[in-house]
Amino acid sequence: MNDMWMNRLSEYLDGELDNTERTALEAHLATCGECYATLGELRQVVAQAKQLEDTPPATDLWSGIATQIRRGSVVDRPVRRDRRRFSLTIPQLLAASIALVLLSSGGAYMALRPGTSKVTPQLTASRQRGIGTVATWTGPTDAAIADLQATLTENERRLDTTTVRIVRQNLAIIDRAIAEARIALQKDPGNAYLNLHLADTMRRKVELLRRVNDIAAQS
Amino acid sequence: MVATLAAAMLVAVASQRQTDTTFAVPAGASLSVNNFGGGITVHAWSENRVKVHGDVGRRGRVEVSLVGNTVVVRTGSREGAPSVIDLDITVPQSMGLTLGGTYADITVEGVQGPISAETVNGEINVRGGKGTVTLHSIQGGVTLADASGRIEVNSVNEDIELSNVTGEVKVETTNGEIMLNGIQSSSVDAGTINGDVTYEGTVTDGGSYSFGSHNGDITVSIPERANVTITVATANGDIDASFPLPMTNTAGKHRKTFKLGTGSARMELESFQGDIELRRPQEIRERIGEHKRDHHNDNDHDFDKDHDRDTSFSSHFDAGTWNYAARYAKAYAPKYAKAYAPQYARAYARMYARTYKRAYRDTDTTSH
Repeated sequence: MNDMWMNRLSEYLDGELDNTERTALEAHLATCGECYATLGELRQVVAQAKQLEDTPPATDLWSGIATQIRRGSVVDRPVRRDRRRFSLTIPQLLAASIALVLLSSGGAYMALRPGTSKVTPQLTASRQRGIGTVATWTGPTDAAIADLQATLTENERRLDTTTVRIVRQNLAIIDRAIAEARIALQKDPGNAYLNLHLADTMRRKVELLRRVNDIAAQS
Repeated sequence: MVATLAAAMLVAVASQRQTDTTFAVPAGASLSVNNFGGGITVHAWSENRVKVHGDVGRRGRVEVSLVGNTVVVRTGSREGAPSVIDLDITVPQSMGLTLGGTYADITVEGVQGPISAETVNGEINVRGGKGTVTLHSIQGGVTLADASGRIEVNSVNEDIELSNVTGEVKVETTNGEIMLNGIQSSSVDAGTINGDVTYEGTVTDGGSYSFGSHNGDITVSIPERANVTITVATANGDIDASFPLPMTNTAGKHRKTFKLGTGSARMELESFQGDIELRRPQEIRERIGEHKRDHHNDNDHDFDKDHDRDTSFSSHFDAGTWNYAARYAKAYAPKYAKAYAPQYARAYARMYARTYKRAYRDTDTTSH
């Protein structure tokens, strides 16, 4: 994580490095497993983002914006000549990749589920307190998992007892893996592998919950 | 009964305990089957017709219809709870399949079109498939052989086995092993939480390979002249190779990178608790063969019926039991040792510390 190139990876992917920087970074990538792995994750995020379909906003945002403009409350911003850059940190990238999982297909169902917004902020706060300072990027994902789990609790009666038992067993297996990864991260918070492993394990939990909720919804 | 589906829709509702319907299908037609419980078995033949055979029992029924260019087979119940119905369907070889069920075992033999199969409680066994092949089960093992294209296989609580598969491969389970054998691919992504991952296949220049587990070992085959940069990461396991590994970089204590040849392919091997083994293809093939033999023998309820000349079970019970125990010990000892070591190490350490402390104290006292 102390790698000088780590924070330049998104610029590299966006083709924003000059020739010298690009050559140097590519030489570095050939020898740095952490940067290479992070670049792979970042590529996945970009690829998944490209696959997302544009969804029209649930409410007509423009009427609100137009009202604000009419009121003259939108402050003129100085024209910026430089291109805006989105250089993301590793935790942000990890959170983004899981957010993409949540947003794609069945995740949209969760996002649009009535009552979701009431649950999420409260859970986020309480969960983050429990986690402490380690892997702080997991906060939104924890909240999403809690929300999906709450939905599953509601939907469980639609599933047969064997399926419920199997799903619970497997969620417990994933939870154990998440707990072990968190403990390892407490000892070594900057470890890229452990961060990625935790992110990947959490993604699996999100996907399992989402899949089971989809099955329950179809039952 | 032979019918031609020239009209837009055909409905065949079974009134007997079995239904048997054969009809011609338009070129490029696909098949969609939804069977709540029972079995879905699909075979291929060289004819341009579909044959649907169903054991429907007293209450069940099978409906067959043509919707657009898709032959739709649905099962239902005349009354009460859903029926358990076994469907046996024969289709043209290149037909695309979409098969779904809840308590359904799904078997496909010899179809060379795209296949999508999904069940909740049931196994999926597919031989064949071309194009996009997607197989999903929650509680049930999944096997796929002789397929090519874009492969996605997913289980939750069981093992996954792929053999002789060509194309892009993505495999994931939570509580099960992943066994990939005879894979020809430039893109493989396989992961599990609780189980081993074994890969025997190509490592193509410029390819991308990723294998991960939380609690299991990762074993991959590296062909002798492979050009690959291998990144290996483990929190608590060991790394072992049956050939020399030129170290390129050690980024942190958990991650190591090795470059073989030009290093043009990328391979990531990650296991939190397990070991990572790099082997030559022949070693992996032998190991997979051994694993299959063990698995096959484990399913023999008289333990060794394939090898016994004596048909008397009781007279060979002891020998069989010993063989069985020996095989199990060999197969599971490392896994259990790994699982129990963290659990019991501290307790035993404390116990031995107390015992030896007393012993040393006594020795110390008597010596003075």
